Amino acid sequence: MKSFRKLVYPYLLWAIIMIVIPMLMILVYAFTDEGNSVRNFVFSLGSFRRFFSDTVFLVVLRRSIYIAVLTTVFCVLLGYPMAYAMAKSRFKIHLVLLVTIPTWINMLVRTYAWRGMLDNNGLINNFLGFFGIAPLKFLETTFAVVLGMVYNFIPFMILQIYTSLEKLDKSLLEAASDLGANRLQRFLKVTLPLSVPGIISGITLVFLPAVSSFFIPKLLGGGQYVLIGNVIENQFLTAGDWSFGSAISLIMAVIIIISMYITRSLDKKTNPEGGDD
Amino acid sequence: MEFDGQIVLKGISLDIYENEFVTLLGPSGCGKTTLLRILGGFLDATEGQVLFDGEDISKVPAYKREINTVFQKYALFPHLNVYDNIAFGLKIKKEPRDIIEQKVMRMLKLVGLEDFGKRRVTEMSGGQQQRVAIARALVNEPKVLLLDEPLGALDLKLRKEMQLELKKIQKEVGITFIFVTHDQEEALTMSDKIVVMRSGEIQQTGTPIDIYNEPKNRFVANFIGESNIIDGIMKADKRVMFEDKVFDCVDSGFGTDEPVEVVIRPEDIDIVGFNQGKLNGTVKSVLFKGVHYETIVETRLGTTITVEMSVYESKPVCNQAADEEMSANDFYLDVTDIPELTKADIIARANAQAWKSSKDELVSITKVEYDIEPKKGSYPVTFHTAAGTMMSVEMIVEDVNKVESENEIIYAVNINKDIDDIRESIALDTDLKTWANAQAWTADGEEPIAITDVEYDFDQESIHAGKYRITFKTRGYEYKIDTTDEHNVGEKVGLDFTPDDLHIMKLSGNV
Repeated sequence: MKSFRKLVYPYLLWAIIMIVIPMLMILVYAFTDEGNSVRNFVFSLGSFRRFFSDTVFLVVLRRSIYIAVLTTVFCVLLGYPMAYAMAKSRFKIHLVLLVTIPTWINMLVRTYAWRGMLDNNGLINNFLGFFGIAPLKFLETTFAVVLGMVYNFIPFMILQIYTSLEKLDKSLLEAASDLGANRLQRFLKVTLPLSVPGIISGITLVFLPAVSSFFIPKLLGGGQYVLIGNVIENQFLTAGDWSFGSAISLIMAVIIIISMYITRSLDKKTNPEGGDD
Repeated sequence: MEFDGQIVLKGISLDIYENEFVTLLGPSGCGKTTLLRILGGFLDATEGQVLFDGEDISKVPAYKREINTVFQKYALFPHLNVYDNIAFGLKIKKEPRDIIEQKVMRMLKLVGLEDFGKRRVTEMSGGQQQRVAIARALVNEPKVLLLDEPLGALDLKLRKEMQLELKKIQKEVGITFIFVTHDQEEALTMSDKIVVMRSGEIQQTGTPIDIYNEPKNRFVANFIGESNIIDGIMKADKRVMFEDKVFDCVDSGFGTDEPVEVVIRPEDIDIVGFNQGKLNGTVKSVLFKGVHYETIVETRLGTTITVEMSVYESKPVCNQAADEEMSANDFYLDVTDIPELTKADIIARANAQAWKSSKDELVSITKVEYDIEPKKGSYPVTFHTAAGTMMSVEMIVEDVNKVESENEIIYAVNINKDIDDIRESIALDTDLKTWANAQAWTADGEEPIAITDVEYDFDQESIHAGKYRITFKTRGYEYKIDTTDEHNVGEKVGLDFTPDDLHIMKLSGNV
């Protein structure tokens, strides 16, 4: 086993250069003033003060979390039945492929495609036009943003739940039915509780990218629909205020760590012996 | 009953009564678990009915049957603790909380796990999980409890404990247990009734004592305990002939001169002095088994044949240009082998091999040239590799060398072998059989007979070039006898038994 340990080194080096050092830089920037220059650090809490004193940012933060929660909820509601059907199906491999195929194409490209479809003279409105329905405004709405996010992130949810359902021991269902449980009771008392770890890791995989996503709201939400990811992007690319951008990033990181901690402890509670795998 | 297009169970008809401990016994794949799953409602039979208290329940789903199951790997719910696992069925039936608690506590007490209610099932040992599984099934007060090899995963000591415990529980709750196992000892210990199954058919149903003492056929006799099974002929009621002698027995109802099989259990035979028993023989082997010695006595020798083996030292042919070497030896054939001779046979019998000289890497022999006629003589055969290395040896065709006895024929040919082949052989007995093409058949040539002994008087490691004699033997008439006294191998002894030690079975074909 000892010799395999060396295989870790390349990644470790990579992680130090590409992840740890940039994180430290974010940390440094967040606590300095206008700290674009690396030479003279001045400790300051100005950026944080600015974030929490300006209600605009808090509104944006709240909206981001709201959108991410909405996305996650829809992903669970749509993804679970799909994963369940997949696990029961005779065409498992084909269905897994069907779910994964969209991810072979770049997310950005696919989101652009939605833009085309949801546009006022886009595919969907043209279609609705045949039935005499006036063009509906889809773009720049919460609907479009959530749709884009659910569309992009749902495969992660489906695959996580599918995996947990797939490894469910069939004899447990037989045992439940032996003890008098009908189909619904079998699902509620055995299948569902035992697939909770899958749901939770699915939530982690959907909620995290959703809360910090910036190009989906940008493309489908238009300039009006600002989420926290857009604010961060803006601070770095347009406003050039690296300190403020870093401070917001840090706040997001803290929120994410807290939410991960909560899901983890939830997972532990429902499935104590399987929580660490 | 068909499963994946294969018929798994056929013509099963079985009555099971209240409060019975019934064991379905058979080797794996005999359909016992399938039968259990049909009773439990997890499989539908393609034909036939399952009657429960006179009602056909074939179409009743598992969850509505008054039957509970203890699964092979227990199938405890990993997300629930011991208490909730046991309470599962009661909660489904929406029984009041206090009743549930009462019943679960009673069950925990029955299986001796009073203090384990709050434990996670995944933290428990195999034996404890087993008890939880039994409690979880019994708490629903089923009329029948099905147990699918529930003790299979436990170690020997625990298994014995659980056997007694299960029997005790069954007596206490007074319901029918249907128990599946492949362990005959388990079946004998626990059951009121044993159902012996094989290839989806019931072979015999009866009490443990019936099944042990009066097996219906060779399969049952062999599966339940050890037994000596001898071919015999029924001369008259209560008179059976085997080993050319007529003996008294207690069975009747067979036709005159009907061929039968005679079962004698190893513990029913006594070893007495030579000429003092009913049969005479020689002690062939003695094996210490703890409580007793398992002594094998041979009453009649098998058929033997002796061949000559010429051992020589050979140098392989060297082909320096291609960096290859090749070796092969002359070999003997008998006339009857020739029509069926293939190139692969020739390569095997000549032990032809080619390899790279510099590396120890085999090279394939691509061409075998030979010309042979079906009569005595010596014929050359040449082996080639792709790189052009070649070697010729002789195939020596001789008359058939065989020894015939009353019911057997044994064949073998002389051997010509390189000294290294013998030294390097990993399984010399098997190799000698292959090289000599030693085979034994029944007199009618229908069935092969195993050659059990290969005898020779050289030492494999230190053999020199020269001529050696090798003898191949088939098994004679052997009796396995359990004795408390130790006998010496080679000792001449007599065998004794009483008429009721013999059990006569109808012939049951090949098993």
